[in-house]
Amino acid sequence: MNHDAWLEQADLYALGALDGEERAQFEAHLATDCAICAARLREMGEALRALPESLPSVAPPPALRARILERIAAERAPAAAPVTLRPARRPSRAVWWAGWAGLAAAAVLLVFVNTELRTTRQEVHTLQGRVATLQAELSRREETLRFFSDPGVRYVSLAGLKPSPEASAWLLWNPSTRQGLLLARGLPAAPAGHAYELWALAGGQPVPAGVFSVDAAGRGLLRLAELPTDHAFDTFAVTLEPTPGVPKPTGPMHLLGKV
Amino acid sequence: MAAALPGASIQLLGEIARGDRDAFARFYDLHASLVHTFALRILRERSEAEEVVQDVFVQVWRQAAGYSRDRGTPEAWLITLARSRGIDKLRSRRRRDEMVRPAETAERLPEPVALESATGPAEARATLGGVLADLPTAQRHVLELAYFEGLTQTEIAARLGEPLGTVKTRIRSGLERLRGALSARGGAERA
Repeated sequence: MNHDAWLEQADLYALGALDGEERAQFEAHLATDCAICAARLREMGEALRALPESLPSVAPPPALRARILERIAAERAPAAAPVTLRPARRPSRAVWWAGWAGLAAAAVLLVFVNTELRTTRQEVHTLQGRVATLQAELSRREETLRFFSDPGVRYVSLAGLKPSPEASAWLLWNPSTRQGLLLARGLPAAPAGHAYELWALAGGQPVPAGVFSVDAAGRGLLRLAELPTDHAFDTFAVTLEPTPGVPKPTGPMHLLGKV
Repeated sequence: MAAALPGASIQLLGEIARGDRDAFARFYDLHASLVHTFALRILRERSEAEEVVQDVFVQVWRQAAGYSRDRGTPEAWLITLARSRGIDKLRSRRRRDEMVRPAETAERLPEPVALESATGPAEARATLGGVLADLPTAQRHVLELAYFEGLTQTEIAARLGEPLGTVKTRIRSGLERLRGALSARGGAERA
């Protein structure tokens, strides 16, 4: 860095506007006893007086003056005051320094505790988020487990039709709770703007049961939509439909199976 | 603001260094308003501003012997002490507010009045404050954010939603003007 750049940094340093790293760099430079920068800092310090000095003056309350003078009266004469220190006072000077050391240690401790608290708070926040996620996951699994362990669950096999003869699917279907899970495989990727739609049929009348897409391997998974209770569904079918799905089937049928 | 002769303050500091409590009281009377006004501007809260005044003057009492004219005028020294204490308090309050949200809001003073209205135009022109009032608003604003709110240039850019380069340029131009005004004043005093 050429020296003019340091002078600019000196101005910003005096203003207190340097960010952490730049500030550390400038302080390191200043530590080399650079007289030019020290002079510049002094000059900038005087120039910056304009900021507080141009504020409308607010006198402090007289009680504050009394408090400060009382405080000073209780203090020993300034530490560096020449010759007035009696030899007998020397030990108490050590105590004075010990007191400052203690204060400094307490300040460091306070900063440390403060930082720790903040970190802990963030950790608690993160953990709360994870607990919520896990609880949601757990209740989903419990629900799945209840679903599978219900003796009423029927197993429906769906076979591939002409457009995708290699495809097949299983449907786990509980007629009493009207819950179901479809696992399809071997389906071709749906063209853009299209997806597969599952239909539940009662007496040949299709009711939409949910829309799903398939992954690169042609697998699809669908939790069935809520179905009406007054239908006795006996057949399930999958057709290819424009997204986001249609109320009545319009596209080619890919899978079909009877309960 | 009543400006004392710099020489008088320096002499008082010498007496304070020798443990003269009357000199300390005189020094306080000369400068307490400036320190208090400044601390109040930074913190906008009376009791914290008073703590800063107390801290600064106790430090003056303890360190008067360490004051050297080479480091600037007593006023600049006081202002440096007050700013460092004030900004420290402001930052720890911000940290506290961050931790305890919603914060119990202490009684805060309203936003400060604009500097132009603080000093009458005639009076202002006679002081450095006049230069400040003459600064373009955008330049003055970035200086104030750094000096009174303790924000770094990056923080200022984020606060204003402006590119860092723009903020740097504004700060630089503002500081240049202040320095220019200082040398003009120095010239006038010497003349």
